[in-house]
Formats: sequence, structure tokens, C-alpha cells
Amino acid sequence: MTKRLLIALGIIVSALSWQANAELVIEITGGSEAALPIALVPFGSEGSVSPVDLSEVIRNDLAGSGRFAPLPQQDLISQPHKQAEVNFADWRLLRSEGLVIGNVTSIDGQTYDVQFQLFDVYKGQQLVGKRYQVPASGLRRLAHQISDQIYHALTGEVGVFATRLAFVTVITNADGSKRFALQVSDADGANPRTVLQSKEPIMSPNWSPDGERLSYVSFENGKTEVFVQEMTSGRRSSVASFKGINSAPSWSPDGKKLALTLSKGGNPEIYVLNLASGDLARVTHNSQSIDTEAVWLPNSNSLLFTSDRGGRPQIYKVSSDGGNASRVTFEGNYNSSPDVSPDGRYLAMVHGVGGKYFIAVQDLASGAVQVLTETGRDESPSFAPNSSMILYATERNGKGVLAAVSVDGRIQQRLGEAGIDVREPAWSPIRK
Amino acid sequence: MKNTSVENITAGSSSLLLHIVLLGLFVVGMDSQSIPKPIAQHEQVEIVQATMMDENNVLQEMVRQQEVEDKKRNEEQARQDKVDQRLEETQNELARKELEFQDQQERAKIEQQQRETKAKQEQEKIAKLEQARKQEEIKQEQAVAERKIAEEKRTKADQERKVAEQKQKQAEQDRKKQEDLKQKAEQELKAAEKKKQTAEADRKAEEDKKAAQARKVKAEADKKAEADKKAAAAKKAETDKKAEEARKVEAERKAQVAEADRLLQDSLASEQQEQESKRIAGVVDQYSLMIKQRINRNWLRPSISESGLQSTLRVTLLPGGDVKQVTVVKSSGNAIFDRSAESAVYRAAPWPQPSDPKAAAALRDFQFIFKPE
Repeated sequence: MTKRLLIALGIIVSALSWQANAELVIEITGGSEAALPIALVPFGSEGSVSPVDLSEVIRNDLAGSGRFAPLPQQDLISQPHKQAEVNFADWRLLRSEGLVIGNVTSIDGQTYDVQFQLFDVYKGQQLVGKRYQVPASGLRRLAHQISDQIYHALTGEVGVFATRLAFVTVITNADGSKRFALQVSDADGANPRTVLQSKEPIMSPNWSPDGERLSYVSFENGKTEVFVQEMTSGRRSSVASFKGINSAPSWSPDGKKLALTLSKGGNPEIYVLNLASGDLARVTHNSQSIDTEAVWLPNSNSLLFTSDRGGRPQIYKVSSDGGNASRVTFEGNYNSSPDVSPDGRYLAMVHGVGGKYFIAVQDLASGAVQVLTETGRDESPSFAPNSSMILYATERNGKGVLAAVSVDGRIQQRLGEAGIDVREPAWSPIRK
Repeated sequence: MKNTSVENITAGSSSLLLHIVLLGLFVVGMDSQSIPKPIAQHEQVEIVQATMMDENNVLQEMVRQQEVEDKKRNEEQARQDKVDQRLEETQNELARKELEFQDQQERAKIEQQQRETKAKQEQEKIAKLEQARKQEEIKQEQAVAERKIAEEKRTKADQERKVAEQKQKQAEQDRKKQEDLKQKAEQELKAAEKKKQTAEADRKAEEDKKAAQARKVKAEADKKAEADKKAAAAKKAETDKKAEEARKVEAERKAQVAEADRLLQDSLASEQQEQESKRIAGVVDQYSLMIKQRINRNWLRPSISESGLQSTLRVTLLPGGDVKQVTVVKSSGNAIFDRSAESAVYRAAPWPQPSDPKAAAALRDFQFIFKPE
């Protein structure tokens, strides 16, 4: 009987403890990195209508990044332009992560007052709220800057919508002659501006770290020659026109030097040119092989470059002061055209497999390689300044086009396709 | 991006020759009018020569692409929603069937138990009845004994009364006789004056003697009656004491039986309670899993390279499955990651809720630990 009593007591005690410990603990592992739903309400408008549809530019930016899924316009429950008009419960039903509202007011037909707010729909809190005054010509750029703010607030990453792309276009005339142009566009490929035209090839544009200058290779004088051109004034100067090849310029992180490939000694080798003094220092000494396409590692005095010293093109690392080079890539028998992510984590390159060329990334710490693209004719990888995407050139219908891929390969984007051959893209740094 | 082409490199050192040939071709192909004109790029003076690109086409194409992609995404979303919905319905259906099955088993179990309990109680009852019957017999026996004692007492009392009556009668007769004698003596006194005093004295002596005797008899009778009474009282006290003891034993036995009964009932109730707890725990487990899956589906994690992030949230639900309150108990240190967890909790609302009110009540307060893997 005592035993039974004890058992009964035990049951009561355990039932009590279960009652007291009523908070369930559940572990959530996994989730997905799917695009975040976001509600973008078309901005309200007062006075003369803005020449740029800001909300549309923002919508395209965010959708194009692959990180956001803007709700279709027809799903928007209401069209608030002020916080007081927002009913968060409505927006919660749409399961949208954020809500963006805004207003554009024309002040005098020339200047616009723009304000926008981003809300956390579930908490009913404002995450960002800003007000600007810009001339009509600054509206598109402002839209990209607003996209950057939204992107940053919701992903934690720096947005790169307000950056620029440089690339080379080629037009073949009816008589077979070609016209080359160095162009600069917004990061979404829109608003292209030509900064240089030539009947001879233009190659390898590369941005200075401050985004104020471009270096490139031009054949305009009948041979390869490296130029540096200022973006605002258009002023330019030839910085390397030695005998033989002058190619593959790359700005040092401090913007004071250019790494170049020169064959003035008979064989293509890597050199470093001091732009202020004009001093030239040879970095590689390997007359049996081609050494080219040097890029600087961020916050470092080292260079990565392509060399066929091992028989097949691979990527090597060397101090910009010279010395022995060490091999970096080991996967596959063809790796070239290195670019290093601004955060220093990844190496992007052209990875050749059986006569096809893909964009691949190598984790510089672990050495793990991931192939990101599929077309097989991909070249010239260039990292976005936030290290999230890689811009590259590929071919579609026999013509060069620009595309971008996220570092994990999940997001694939195509940029500006207008039947014009586009090649050799370079993503600008973030404008300060 | 770099001007040494892919082909040059693949061809190895022989490509250098090709390169030089190419350069030669470029030199030949150059004419004096090809010197390019750099174009100033003032921010205010936007485009200089958009000769090469039809911007309109670019934009239209982009819009078209965007629309195709949007449509695809929408369809995919719709399809996903459908799949989600079907999944959830299937889960709900499964949960409902499982509950039904459990209920049936539960009922069968409880019925079986009730049958066993009933049988047990029946036996218990019979035993109790038997006990009661025996008790009744003892009682009756006692009653008979008591009756006998009472009768004996009555008989005795009767006899005593008769004796007393006879005595009284005797005394009466005696008194009459003496009165007669007295009268005779008075007559004799009248007749014989002289003899009177001595006769008187004799008579008186005789009288005294007789009275003393009568008194003596009476005292003896009284004494006997008293003793009888005392004996009867002692006997009664004895009997009472015995009955009291029997009652005590009986009460004790009854208390023990009652206690045993109560314990049995308690243990049965506890067992039932335990079964009920088990059943509720089962439902809670099932719904916990459903909630976990639902939140997992709704968790749109930011792609953060930082590893080892973990957020702990405390969540309170409203009846009906809507979120009442979310608190970050332990932050991951990354605000974006924390917010993605909070949003997942809200996005999953309304959460699945069991129809059983006890189980639903147990699914009100949660702690969630969010981690990518």
C-alpha cells in the first residue's frame, strides 16, 4: 500500500512539474535564404511629375539583386504615402518583410524634395526614414541610393545599386569595320554613357580605388598602350607605351601604383608602376612562361597573377616587391583572370574544363572551389564592391553580354542586352 | 577584363608569336583618323554620345525580362503555396487521424480499466456484504444474550416483587391478628383489671419481639434486593463494556476498509490522470513538430557568412494561434539575423492549434532557438 501511495505521489509531483515547466523549447534549424518579400508602394507625387519613377527604379534594383521579392503592384492593399496612413495589420497579412512608402514633391520644377520610409511590418517600426533635395538630373541616382539604404537595413550588407559599371562595346559596321567604345553605366546597366570611342580595340578597364579614374588598354596608336583617364574632366594620359605588350593594368589598394604586364624585356612579365614618380619595378622573372593579369590582394602588398610556368595556366601569388611566387589554384588544369573580393575572402577566376570556360570562386582560406556559371564562354570576372556578386562577360547568340552571379551561385542576373557586343566589364568601387 | 586573351594563355609560349602577329595586324589596320576622342564626364552633363546603344531597347528588354521573371516567380510562389497548403492539410489530416486512433485506443483502455475496476469493486462489495452479515449475526447474538439477561432480570424482579407482596400480606395478616389480639386483650383488660398489666407487658414484649422479627425480615429482604440490584448493574456494565469494545473493533475495521478504498480510488484516479497527461503530451509533441516545420518554412534567413549565429526568442500565443508577443531572450549579436527569426515567428501565424483545449493551453508559451544548422 505504501508503494502504491508513493507511486501516486510521484505521479502528482511529476504532473505538477510538467505544469510549472509549460514553456516549450523548440529548435529551429535550417530556414532558407529565399528572397525577402517586400512591399514597395509607388511614391506619392506633388507638383510637376518626376521625370524618373523612383519606386520603379527601386523595385528593379531590389528584385534584380535576387535578395528581394517585391510584391506585385496589384497585391498592394493600399497606397499610403505617409506613416499615418499605414495600417500594419493589413501588410502583415501579405507576409511582407518590409514596407516602403515615399513622396516626391517638385519645388520649382528643377529641384525635387524626396522622402521615403522603410518599416518593419511585423513590429510596426520605422527602420529607415530620410529626406533629400535633388535636381532632376540626380533623381535616378537618388533612387539607387534609396535602394542601397533598404538593402542595407534588411540584409545587413552594403548596397551597391548606386555604383557604376565600366565595359567595352563593339559595333560592327556594314562595311565590316568596327567601332569600340568604353562606356560607364549605372549598376543596373541603365543610363550608359560613352567615355571613349575608337576604331581600334579598347581593353581591360580598371577602376581606381576612389572611383575617380579608369585605367585601360587602347590600341589607338597601333600598339598596346595603357592610359589613365579622369572620370569628371575626361583628361587622360598614357602611362605605359613600352616596346612590346603593355597590358592588364590594376590599381593598387592605395591608388598610387599600377600593376602591369609588359614584354619590354622580351617576355611578358609583371611590373609595378609608381604613378607619381614613374618608377617601374619588375616583379616576376620567368623567361620561360607568360606572367600576366596581376591583381592586388586587399590590404596587402601581394599580387595574384596568371602564369603558365607549370605548363598550364594557373594562378600564383607573389609579393609586389618580387621574390618567389607560390601557386594558389590546384583544381583543374586551367585557371586564369583572377579577381579578389574586396573582403579578401574569395578569388574569382575563369575556370576551364574540356574547352569550356566558367566563372568559379575559390575560398582563399580553405581552397574550396565552386563553379558558378553554366554557359561555358564566360570571362573577365569582376567583384562587386560589397563582395556579394561577380560581374562577368559571356556570350549569347554570338554576342557578348554582361551577367552577374552571386558568390554562392544562387542568384544569376543578366544586364543590359541590346544587341550590342559588350565585353570586359569592371564594377566600380562605392562612391564616397 | 585583362587584355591577354584566354587563347594566348592556352597556347602557352607559342601564343606570344600569335600575339605579335595580332599586334602587327592592328598596326596595319590603323589609320590616322582613328585617334579617339576622350569625352569629359561631368556629372551635370550626363551623356555625351549615346551613339552605340539604344537605351530605349535596353530598358524595354529589361522590363520584359523583369516581367517574365516576375511571372515565373509568382507561378512558382503559387505552386509552392499550393504544395505548402497541401502539405499542411495532409499533416492536419494525419494529426486528426492520429488523434482519433489515439482516442479509440484510449477509450478501449479506459473501458477495460473500468471493467476491471468494476469487477474489483464488485468483489470488494461482496466481501463487504459478507462482513456486514457476520457483523449482523454477532449483533443478533449479542441482542439475544442481552434479551436473555433482561428476561432473567425481569423474572427475578417479579419473584422479588411476589416475595415482597407475600411478606406484606403476611405483615398485614399479622397486623390484623395483633389488632384482634389487642381487642381481646382490651376486652380481657376490662374483664380482668389486675391481670391486665402483666398481660400487657407480656403482650408488649411479644409484640416487640414480633416487630423486631418483621423488621429483621424486611431488612434482610431489602439487603438481598440491593445485592441483586448491584449484581445486575455489574453484569450490565460488563455487557456494555463488551459491546463498546466490539463497536470499537468494528469502527476500526470499517475505517481501515474505507482507507483502503480511498487509496485504491486515488491510485486509479492518478493512473487516469497519468494516461491523460500522456495523451496531452502526445498531442503537444505532434503540434510542436508542425509548428517547428511551419516556422522553418517561413524563416527567410539572411545570407550571412558569419558562422555560429544563434537567437533565442520567447513567444506567447493568443488563443487561435496568433502571435501575442515576441521577445529576443538571447540575441545572436546580429540584428538582421535576430529580425529574420522574429519575422519567421510572425509570418508563420496563425499557428496550427489542436482542438483539445488542454493541449492547446500547453501550446501557448514557447522558446525558440534559431540557428542555421
